[in-house]
This record gives sequence, structure tokens and C-alpha cells, in this order.
Amino acid sequence: MKDFHGLIFAYYTDARLRELVSMRTAASLPFCGRYRVIDFSLSAMRNAGIVDVGVIMQRDYQSLLDHLGGGKAWDMARRTGGLRMLPPFGLPEYHRGNYAGTMEALIAVSSYIKDVKAKYFVLMLGDMCANIDLTVPMEQHRKSGSAITAICTDRADAEGFRMTYLTDDNGKARQILVDAVNEKEGFLSLEAYIINKETLLELMETSRKQSLHRFHKDTLDSWLKEGGKMDIYVHHGYTALIRSVDSYYKANMDMLNNDIRHELFPAERPVFTKAREEVSTYYGVGSYSRNSLVADNCIIDGSIENCIVFSGARIRPGAKLKNCIVMNDCIVEVGCSLDHCIIDKDCSFSPNTVLNGNERLPLIVPKGSNI
Amino acid sequence: MKKTMIAMLLAGGQGSRLYALTQSVAKPSVPFGGKYRIIDFPLSNCENSGIDTVGVLTQYRPLQLNSYIGSGQPWDLDVNDGGVFILPPYQSAGEKGSWFTGTANAICQNLAFIEEYDPDHVVILSGDHIYKMDYADMLRDHVEHNAACTISVLTVTLEEATRFGMMNLGEGGYIKEFEEKPKHPKSTLASMGIYIFDWKKLRKYLLQDDADPNSKHDFGHNIIPAMIADGEKIWPYRFKGYWRDVGTIDSLWDANMDMLTPQLIDLYDPEWPISARSPICPPHQVGSHAEILHSIVTEGCEIDGIVDNSVLSPSVHIGVGANIKYSVLMPGVVVEAGASVEYAIIGENTIIRAGAKVGGSPAPGEGKKITTIGPDLEIPAGSTVKVGAMISSSEEV
Repeated sequence: MKDFHGLIFAYYTDARLRELVSMRTAASLPFCGRYRVIDFSLSAMRNAGIVDVGVIMQRDYQSLLDHLGGGKAWDMARRTGGLRMLPPFGLPEYHRGNYAGTMEALIAVSSYIKDVKAKYFVLMLGDMCANIDLTVPMEQHRKSGSAITAICTDRADAEGFRMTYLTDDNGKARQILVDAVNEKEGFLSLEAYIINKETLLELMETSRKQSLHRFHKDTLDSWLKEGGKMDIYVHHGYTALIRSVDSYYKANMDMLNNDIRHELFPAERPVFTKAREEVSTYYGVGSYSRNSLVADNCIIDGSIENCIVFSGARIRPGAKLKNCIVMNDCIVEVGCSLDHCIIDKDCSFSPNTVLNGNERLPLIVPKGSNI
Repeated sequence: MKKTMIAMLLAGGQGSRLYALTQSVAKPSVPFGGKYRIIDFPLSNCENSGIDTVGVLTQYRPLQLNSYIGSGQPWDLDVNDGGVFILPPYQSAGEKGSWFTGTANAICQNLAFIEEYDPDHVVILSGDHIYKMDYADMLRDHVEHNAACTISVLTVTLEEATRFGMMNLGEGGYIKEFEEKPKHPKSTLASMGIYIFDWKKLRKYLLQDDADPNSKHDFGHNIIPAMIADGEKIWPYRFKGYWRDVGTIDSLWDANMDMLTPQLIDLYDPEWPISARSPICPPHQVGSHAEILHSIVTEGCEIDGIVDNSVLSPSVHIGVGANIKYSVLMPGVVVEAGASVEYAIIGENTIIRAGAKVGGSPAPGEGKKITTIGPDLEIPAGSTVKVGAMISSSEEV
């Protein structure tokens, strides 16, 4: 698949993720017990044979870099090509503030894009959970002769996406609607695109000249109006955009549903991630566990119910956790009671600590807290 | 480049006493303790002991073992100078190639490999032991006692001694006699089958042994007795800790159950991790009807039944109302709703259909009888596999 080159947008972090992103980007948020959100886009590309991938990042990317490493987990550690980290380079103005939009992010790495030999680019978000079989839209795009193929969803439960494409009689996109939540027609965009290289460069040039940086509202909308040819491909599987504490909590809890989890982790398209320690999880004599997901390398002596537990957790006897997300390497001592908490990495709770969040407002325990 | 010590890992054994489990794989690649395969223990010990060059001697059904070891990356053995090497028997020009005829012969056929690294010492390891051991500490002991060979030994009871190779000590605490499974044991020091040799001396004895047509070409039977006879210094390295040979169904089951007692062997010790190559699966799922008691569960599992005192490898599925007790379930095993599995070892990807009954708990006062089902089999719905059976093909079901 050397004809295709991947680009993942990992620069954007929604402020509504609050403390969860104080030291990381949304793309590197831990998810479903052992993954990071960006694993989905990386794995989708890898499973479609795309191993030349650039990850566009701007700030707070230490945890992202640590996770990606050399790209080995996704078979992207190659002598030529492979995974490339794309922090801002060249122009000093891009090191300050935030990218004003996708177009500015692309322009900031334009020298990289220009050097790519591939004919097509696959653009995906780094903060989206979806297991998309890219081989189908890639083949469709190659055959159609259209300059862009937009990957959309028909799922009513896909929250957080804002762009809707209306189509003409031939199924080509003709117009973009923003926040058309009540619109019956049209296809909700997953903001994933397959785009010809020359079209991408053209859009970047227009955007640069006009100083208009928004991908959809400015660039794509006017490109469509000028007669640009865009196909629609519909992905039917589960999709979640991680842009707020609520959507993060809900998407994690959705994984407790077997049907949804199997949609996101089908055997034929595995989701790859950085490997951790190799040891199974141990359930002690007095442990209790119901309706939970538990990663390896945990020792559970207490009780867990409706929880997502990442590796390295130590849940001591008599500790009770309900409706919690417990990230890596947390220690919950005897007699603690935690409900509706999102517990970030490396936290420890001394005996008999009680913390209750609410379904509408899960309590965030920041990374490294000692309570 | 010259190495202080390299490891030679004997992984060619068929494991005939594990019959149903080793029909298509070598014993070292039998799954163990949830996340692992047996060979992960010696390989991880090498990694943790700072040994970066390991020759793995394979012979019986090596395909799975070869792909499992691969580049050695899980054990950090993918290094530029050294690494892990699979060493099968081979043919040379003008000669008739031959299978490895014994443990010593396997090493002897690979003299050229060892000489490439020109080591001072060679540690000989076995691919069917479960233990954590610092070979660097054993080497220090070996060097300190100026030994030609150091044998790692374990203190056992006199009753147990009849099942092991026993060491009788002489002057200065050196080994003066090696008795294989003695009827009347004279000591309680049992060989663990782990040897460090001075390479130059070992080389000499290997060549000498190779020329002897009456030899069984075995370390315990031939090489070490010959060294003792010549008055070479053989030192016992006293190992304290957990060590099990898992060559039989009973010992494999026992050792798996031992993993449920962290006081015996701590797999969670960050100072001495046991590494493995495993597929990346989602975390294991505990369903709303599940009950998990005193068990080991691994990623990819989906559990909605009862799991009690059992060891589950990756991607095991347990249906609603199924009952798993005192059992070892290897990767990909499916136990459907209402089935029961007790005191059993179930091979990879075997399916136990709804309501089937496999094995059973021992009656009071009686010893346990382990039921074994080989890999890739299907136990039909509602059927019964009787206690103690060993099933290796679908005709036997």
C-alpha cells in the first residue's frame, strides 16, 4: 500500500477533558484497560497495509511520544518510511498558541507532506475510537476518480461529530452542514478522508493564501462549491469521539457491553498497542468481580463492579470499587470505597478512603495523587 | 566477540508423558501459568541474569517453538552481537546427518556455534522447568570454587530422592558421586539439570564421549561421571526457591496450581519479570453472571460462569452457568453454557460444548486424577469425559 500515506491529527485536545489532559494530549488518553485512543487510527492504517504514517502533534506530546516509541507495535518501525512524529517545525509562529485549525496544522508540516511519494493521503483523527476497515474506501477511492472520499457514519449513537454531508443524486457530496443535529438526510462525517496528494496540496495553498484555517467550514465547503468531486463511504461500526470527560467516561463504559466491544475489537482487525509487562491477573480468595474489564498484571483481592481496570492495579481486601475507571499502577488499600471515579495513573488511596462521583459528573483523581 | 558465558537451552524433548498436549508441539512451548509458555522461564532467567547469547536446541516438532521465539525480542534477546539462535540437527557435506542422540550429543553437534562466541563458561539449561534463578550468581559460585562443572542442586526429602539424580559430596564439599534415581539415597541434594561448565573442559569431554559408541551421550549418565572419575572439581550450587520439573500431567497441573500461591513463586516481582510473546487482546471481561475465586485470568478472556482455583490463558471463553474448578485452560479454550470442567487440563482452542462434563473432583480420601484434553478438539454437548481420561483425538471422545 505504498500508494497511500497516513496522517493522524494528534494536536487537538479539547479543554472539556479537563484534568485528564493536563499532562497529555487527547490522542494519548488511556482507553479500555490497555489502549491509548490513538491506537485505533494507527491500527486501522496498519491493518490496511499503510505503514508510512505521520502523526501531527503540537503540545504536551511527551506521553504520546512515549507511547508511540519507534512505531514497532504497529509494524511501523521501518528502515525507510514508517512512523514519523511531526511536531511543529520550521516556522516559529507554530510553536506558540494552538493551531487555528486542521489546515494550519497541515501547513505547519507542509515540507513533510510535499516530500511524500504516495499518490493518496489517508487523514484520521487521533482522538477517535473506531475500528474502520480502510481497505474498502481505499479501493473505492482508487476506482472512483474522485479527489476526496469522506468516511462517514450512519450510527445514531456516534456523538461529538459536527459535520454532515448532503449528497446529490449520484451520491457525491454537495454541501457541508455544521451542527445539523436534527437533519434527517445526509451523512455524519468521521472527519476521516482519503485525498489525492495534489488536491491536498491545492487545498493547503488556497488556505495559506486566504489565511483561512478551518478544514470543513472554510476549505472543503468552498472546494465543493467550486465543483470538487467528493465520494462518501459509510462506516457502520461503533464510533466515539473523545472530546469531554463525559464522552471519555461513556466510551469506556460502553466497552462493558460485549456487542459494542466486539465491534471495536474484531478478531480480523486487531487493535495494536504498546506491550506492557507479561503476567496474568490474580484474583485472591476473597475477591468479588462483576461486569468489569480487567487488564493483565492486576492483583484483585477486593471487590470491583462495573469497572475498567488497567494493568498494575492492586485492589486490597475489602476495598470496593464501583463504576470506576482505574488507570495504570494504582493502589487501592483495604476498606476504600470508590464510586464513579476516573482514577488517573499512579494514584494510591490509603485505607478506608471514601470518594464518590456521580454518573453525570464522574470524579477525576489526577495522575499521581496520594489520598 | 568473546563472551564470558553463553547459554545452551535443551528444548528438543518430545515430552511423551504429556502425550495429548505435545502431539503437535514440543514440550517447552506448552502454555503455562496463564500468560506463559514453559520456555519463557529459562529465557527470562537468561535475560534477567544478563546472558545475551542463547542457543535453543530443537528437534521434536519445532515449528511452533521457532515462531514463538522468533527474533527473541520479548526477552530482549534481539541484540546485535549475540541473541537467540534456534539450533536444529543438520547435515554436513560428505557426512550423514543425524538426530540429536542425547543431551550431550546435542551440544556436541553445535560446537561450531559455541566456538563462535569463544565463551569461558557455558550454562546448560532445560526447556521444561519452572523456576526463577540468577545464573550470574551460580557463575560466581562456580568461579569462586574453581570448578570444572557446577551443578545446581535442591534439597529434597529422602523419599523424593528416589526420583532425582542425587549428589553425594566428598572432600571440600565437592561432588564425588552422581547417582541417577537411587533406590537407597545417600544424600538429599538433587540435581536440577542445570549445569555450568568450564568450556575448554566440557569441549574435551564432549569429544571424548562422542567417540565412545557405547555412550548414551547424556550429561547425567556419561559426561559428569566421566569428569568425576578423572577427579575434576564438581561443585554443588545450592538453589533455594521454587523449582518444578513439569514433565508429567500431574506435575504440570501441580505447578500451574502453585501459581495461585504467590508465596511459592512471585510472578509480579518487577525485579525479575518473566517475559512472554503474546497477542495483544482487550482486557478480560468479567460478565454479570461471573464468579471468579482464587484464580489467574489473562487478557482476551470472556467469563460469565464460575471460575474457581483455576488458571486461564489468553482468550478463554466461559459461558453462563459453566463451572470451572481446579483446572488449567490453555489459550482459546471455549467452555459453553452449563458445562463443567474439574481437575482438568484443556489444550489450546478446544471447545467444550454446552452441558458437557469433563473430569471431576476426587472423592474424599482419594488422590486426584487429572483429566487431559488435547488441543483443537470438540467435546460434544451433554457428553461426559471420565475422570482421569487423556483425550488426544476426536475419535476418543
